[in-house]
Amino acid sequence: MSQVTLSNVVKYYGKSRAVHGIGLDIADGEFVVLVGPSGCGKSTTLRMIAGLEAISDGEVRIGGRVVNDLPPRERNISMVFQNYALYPHMTVRENLGFSLKVAKVDEAAIVRAVDEAAGILGLAELMDRKPAELSGGQRQRVAMGRAIVRQPDVFLFDEPLSNLDAKLRTQMRVEIKKLHQRVGNTIIYVTHDQVEAMTLADRIVLMQDGHIVQVGTPLELFNTPVNTFVATFIGSPPMNLIDGVVDGETIALDGGLTVPVPLQAQGRVQDGQMVHFGFRADNLMPEGHGVFEGGAVATLELPVILTEPLGTETVLFTEMAGTEVQAKMLNPRPVRPGETLKFQLMIDKCHVFDAATSNAIRV
Amino acid sequence: MFRRRLPEWLVLLLPAFIVIAAVVLIPLIFSLYSSFTPYKLTRPSTLWRWIGTANYERILTDAKFWAAFGRTVLFLTIVLNLELILGLCIALMMNKVTWGQRTLRTILMFPMMFSPILVGFQFKFIFNDNIGLVNNALQSMGFDVALPWLVDGKLAMFSIIFAEVWMSTSVFAILILAGLFAMPRDPLEAAKVDGCTPWQTFRHITLPFLMPFIYIAMTIRSLDVARAYDIVQIMTGGGPARRTELLWTLMSRTGYVDARMGLANAMGYVSILLSIAFTVYFFRKLSAARAELGMGG
Amino acid sequence: MDRNQAHRNRKRGLKALHFLALFLTMSIICIPGLWIVLNSFRPTVEIMAKPAVWIPSFTLDHYRAMFGGAGEGGVPVLSYFRNSLIVSVVSTAIAILIGMSGGYAFARYRFRGKSSYFVGLMLFRAVPGVALSLPLFIVFAKVGIIDTHFGLILVYVALNVPFTIWLTDGFFRQIPKELHEAAEIDGCTRWQAFWKVEFPVARSGVASAAIFAFLTSWNEFALASQLTRSVGSKTMPVGLLDFTAEFTINWGGMCALAVLMILPALILTFIVQKHLIAGLTFGGVKG
Repeated sequence: MSQVTLSNVVKYYGKSRAVHGIGLDIADGEFVVLVGPSGCGKSTTLRMIAGLEAISDGEVRIGGRVVNDLPPRERNISMVFQNYALYPHMTVRENLGFSLKVAKVDEAAIVRAVDEAAGILGLAELMDRKPAELSGGQRQRVAMGRAIVRQPDVFLFDEPLSNLDAKLRTQMRVEIKKLHQRVGNTIIYVTHDQVEAMTLADRIVLMQDGHIVQVGTPLELFNTPVNTFVATFIGSPPMNLIDGVVDGETIALDGGLTVPVPLQAQGRVQDGQMVHFGFRADNLMPEGHGVFEGGAVATLELPVILTEPLGTETVLFTEMAGTEVQAKMLNPRPVRPGETLKFQLMIDKCHVFDAATSNAIRV
Repeated sequence: MFRRRLPEWLVLLLPAFIVIAAVVLIPLIFSLYSSFTPYKLTRPSTLWRWIGTANYERILTDAKFWAAFGRTVLFLTIVLNLELILGLCIALMMNKVTWGQRTLRTILMFPMMFSPILVGFQFKFIFNDNIGLVNNALQSMGFDVALPWLVDGKLAMFSIIFAEVWMSTSVFAILILAGLFAMPRDPLEAAKVDGCTPWQTFRHITLPFLMPFIYIAMTIRSLDVARAYDIVQIMTGGGPARRTELLWTLMSRTGYVDARMGLANAMGYVSILLSIAFTVYFFRKLSAARAELGMGG
Repeated sequence: MDRNQAHRNRKRGLKALHFLALFLTMSIICIPGLWIVLNSFRPTVEIMAKPAVWIPSFTLDHYRAMFGGAGEGGVPVLSYFRNSLIVSVVSTAIAILIGMSGGYAFARYRFRGKSSYFVGLMLFRAVPGVALSLPLFIVFAKVGIIDTHFGLILVYVALNVPFTIWLTDGFFRQIPKELHEAAEIDGCTRWQAFWKVEFPVARSGVASAAIFAFLTSWNEFALASQLTRSVGSKTMPVGLLDFTAEFTINWGGMCALAVLMILPALILTFIVQKHLIAGLTFGGVKG
C-alpha cells in the first residue's frame, strides 16, 4: 500500500516559513500534481516527502508509516529531477541499475529489471551510451527508467519536463500518463505549468505562498475555482475579470455596462457589494460562432482589438467595460482589428468573486 | 543522544583546521611572541626576556630595513603590473591564433612548472657575466662587452625582475585566455555592428568581462609573491652590496646568518602583513568584480 | 576600391606583426629551459669555453656522474630524488584527502561565515615561506622532527590544504547537487553517494588538484632549505645548492639535476592541463 499522507507539514528556512502547515491525503495509485507559481512551496513539499529537506513540523506518512526522520533511501521512493541528475560517469545501463546495485540485488535480477524498464521506455538501443551522448528527450526517458527500476511505492517528479522544448514536452506528457496507467503507482508530480497539471492529474493541488489554495480534479478547478487566483491560474487563456458593484439583480461593471447576476451567485450577493465579475473566453463568443448551452445570455457589441488565429478557433482580444478581455470564436472567419462584432456572453457560466476577499461567491 | 553532534560541515573542515593550526598558526603565535624578545638561536635563555616592542622600534628606525621594504613594494608593483600587461597581450595574441593553439598553450604553461629555485638558477646561468648565454650571444655578435648582469645593482634588479616575470606571466596569460574563451560572442558582434573600433570594443566590452579572471590571477599570484625569495636568494643573495635586498632575503639573513630570531620574526610579521594585504585587496576586488557581472553564487 | 585595398594591406601587416610577436614570446619562454637541457649534455670545458662554442658536442658525463653516486662533487642525487618523491607523494595524498573534505564542505553546505572561513584559509597560504620557516625551524627542533621526512610532509600538507580546498570546491560546485540527491534516493547513504557518484564525477578535477599540490611540494625551497639538513631528508631543490661551492659552480651537473627535477613536473602537467585551468577559473569566478 502506498498512500501518502501529509498532516500539518511546515517548513522553516531560518525564521521564514516556506510551507505553512499543509495537509493532504493521497490515495494509493493516484496521480497528484502540485502546481503553483514559482516560490509557492510545491518543490519544497515534494523534497520533504522525498527526505531531501528536513520537515520542520507536522508529519509525513508513506504507506501508513511515519517517515519524518528516515533518510531518502529508507522511504522506498524514486524521483525524477528537473535536470534529470543522471550519473554522468555511468552508461545508461549502469544508471538504470544503480539503485539495485547499491541494494546488492544479484546481477541476474538487475539485468532483468533494467531490461524490462528499458523495454517500457524504448531505451534498448541506448544502453551503452553515456548521458552526455543523449538528447534531452532520451535523458528524460533514462531518468524515468531509473525511477521505474526501483519499483518504489511512490514516484516523485520535480518539474521533469521544463527543460524540454514544447513539442517534446507534449510527447513526454503522454508517455508519463501511459507509464502511470501501466505501472499504476502513486505519483506526486510538481510543475508550474497548468497545462501539464490539467492534462496529467487525477487531482490537482494548487499552491500559493506556502498554502494549499484548492484541491480537486482538473475539471473542478476549471469550473469552480474557489478564488480569483485559481480562476486566473488554471485555464488558458486565463479567466477574464472585470470589477463591478452589485445592484439588485444586476452587476454594474465599472466601465458602464450592466450584466445580470449569474444563477450560481443569485441570493448570495448584497446590494452595493464590490465584486469581480469573471468569465472564460469560451463563454464570450461572436454570434453564430460558439456552442450555446442554454441559460441567460447577454448580447454585447464589442470592438475587436487584436486577433490570434489558432486554426480551429480564433482568440479575439476585445474591450468590455473599459477592460481588455478575451473571447473565443469557433469555426472562425477572418476578422479585422477595428471591426465591431455582436458577442454573446453566457451569463450562467460566469463567476462572481468578492472584491475584498477574492473568494468565489456561489451556491 | 547525550552529546550534541558537530555539524557535518565542521567535521569535514576540522582536519584542515587542525593541520593548519598545528603547522602555521602555532608557529606564528610563537614567532609573534619571540618578536617581542631579543631571542638569539645561540643563547636560548634570551627567549624569556621580554623587551616589548624594541625589535619593531628597531626595524622601523632602520634605514636598511626601510630600503628593503621599499624595494620589495616597488619590486612587487613592477612585477605584478608587467605580468598583467604581458599576460594580457599574450592571451589576446593566443586568442587570435587559428591553428596549433593547444600546443602553444601547453608551451605557455612550461614556466609554471619550474621550481622558483630552478628559475633562479637558470637565469643565474643565462645572465652569468662570463659564460652566460646573453653575454656570449652579445660577444658573438661582435659587441665587445661583458655586461655585469648580476653584479651591477641596476642590471641585477632587472635580471631578477626578468626571471620573476618569466616565471609568473603564464598564470595571467592562461587565466585571461580562459576568460577570453568563456566570453560570449554576441556582445562583441553587437559592438562591431554598432561601429566600435577594435580598441573601443576591447576597452568597453572585453576588458570588463575579463576583470574577474584578472583578479583571480592576481589573487593566486598574491598568495605566493614571496616565492621571489627563492629566485633572489639564488641569483644574487640580496647583493651586490644589498642592492637587490628584499624583505625576505633580509629576514632570512637576520635569522639564519646572524641568528637573531627575535628581530627576524619581527620582520617576518611585517612581510606577512604585506602578503596578507595584497591577498585581501585582490580577494575584495575579485568579489566586487564578480558581483558586478552577476557571477556570484 | 582604394579603401578596400588599404584595409587589406593593413590586415596583412597586422598578421605579420602578430606572427612575429607570438614567435618572440614563445622563444623567450622556451629558450631558457632548452638552454638548460642542452648544457646538461655538454662537457664542462665547453660550457666554460671563451670565446663561446656554439656548435654543441654531446656527452652523458653529467648524468653518469649524477647517478654514479659520489661522482661530481659527490652530490647524492638519487637520495635527494627519493626524498623529494616520498615527501611530495605522501604530502599530496594527505593534503588531497583533507582538502577534498574541506572543499566539499564549502561546495555543499551553507553555514554562517562561510566566506570568511574561506578567505581565512587562503590567508594562511599567503604566509611567506621564509617568514614561516623561522618559527617552524625552532618549533620543529624542539619537538625533534626537524630534518625528517615527517616534519616536511606535515608542513607541505598544511601548505597545500588551502589551495586544494579552493580547487576542489570549484570542482564539486560544478556537480549539480541533484546528483547526490538522486543517489540518496536510489538507496545510498551520504557517504556512499559521495564515493560512488560525486567523487568519480569530480575525479579528473581532483587529480589536477593533486598535481598542483605535488608540484608545490616538489618545487618548494624556502622551507625545505631550513627544515632539512642531511642527505636523508634533503629534497632536490635544496640539493641543487650542493653544486655551488664558494666561488665555483658546477653548471653541467646542476643542469642535469634541473632536468631531473623538471621532467616529472612537465609530464604530470601535460596530462592535466585542461582540468587545471578549468578548476582555477571556476573556483574563482563562481565564488
